Amino acid sequence: MTDSAHLIAKLPNDIGGAEAGPIVMAEHTLLPWEKRCHALADVLDFKKIINTEEKRRGVEALGATVIGNLSYYERWIVAFGNILFQKGIITPEELARKMDEVEARHARAGGA
Amino acid sequence: MSAHEHEHEHDHPHAEITAEPAGYYEIMETAVRELLAEKGLIGPAEIRRQIEVLDSRTPALGAKVVARAWVDSGFRARLLADGRAGCEELGISFYDDTQLIVLENTQEVHNLIVCTLCSCYPRPVLGLPPDWYKEKPYRARAVIEPRAVLAEFGTTIPDDVEIRVSDSTAMVRYLVLPRRPDGTEGWSEEALAALVTRDAMIGVVPATLPETVQ
Repeated sequence: MTDSAHLIAKLPNDIGGAEAGPIVMAEHTLLPWEKRCHALADVLDFKKIINTEEKRRGVEALGATVIGNLSYYERWIVAFGNILFQKGIITPEELARKMDEVEARHARAGGA
Repeated sequence: MSAHEHEHEHDHPHAEITAEPAGYYEIMETAVRELLAEKGLIGPAEIRRQIEVLDSRTPALGAKVVARAWVDSGFRARLLADGRAGCEELGISFYDDTQLIVLENTQEVHNLIVCTLCSCYPRPVLGLPPDWYKEKPYRARAVIEPRAVLAEFGTTIPDDVEIRVSDSTAMVRYLVLPRRPDGTEGWSEEALAALVTRDAMIGVVPATLPETVQ
């Protein structure tokens, strides 16, 4: 391989055979939002809105830095947002406004 | 059993977590879901129903499949021929389009499943995968040094036994059919199912007798 060829031999998600440390056998219980995110993924799949391959490619498209720094379901929901933008189902502005609305709702609930 | 452990874990952290403020990504999840509902693309009840489906899928379902295969050679043959149809025969429905290949451990072959690309896993029959299955060390190392990986789970496979690692895909999932432990002749299907753990169906440990049994 040439110097740069190894960069395209594998995409960031394709880590089989890579060097890695010992297996940490911790297991966390899913947070409620994580479980909702998982349920959302399943519903989007059987509604044919986002399938499993699209989800994986969406996560892969985040790139190694984001993949390395976001948790499992954080990566999913960001990928879903991007895929839905690309498909024209929602717009970035709609999502930003709705996130502001949700955040305000949480803040009111927290303050009460 | 992991199902029991899960029940214990489930209550306490849940209560704690509820009090924490919503993070950026939780807010994003809520926003995406609500936008899709507003556009009529998904129904809120569908999310709640799917959460109930996810909660209903535990390794106990897979253990039931394995135990049936151990006692019924006809079922075993059908299961190995078409894993999904075999599970459906026992009333275990699949809620997605995936197929299931059941991999039988024998005297000559020990099977291990992994997903190097992400975290594909036979969720309809095992529930959600453990964290370690989704993280880099297992995903990276299972395909290149499986014996060392198994050793970290306390599992030693003799050198004359082949280890086969199957890498899962979006459409094809695997389930390991562990070997029936010696000394279980005449056991009921229910007692046999209790010997089968999630990790045995991933392939990182064998199915074993409880240590208290003589």
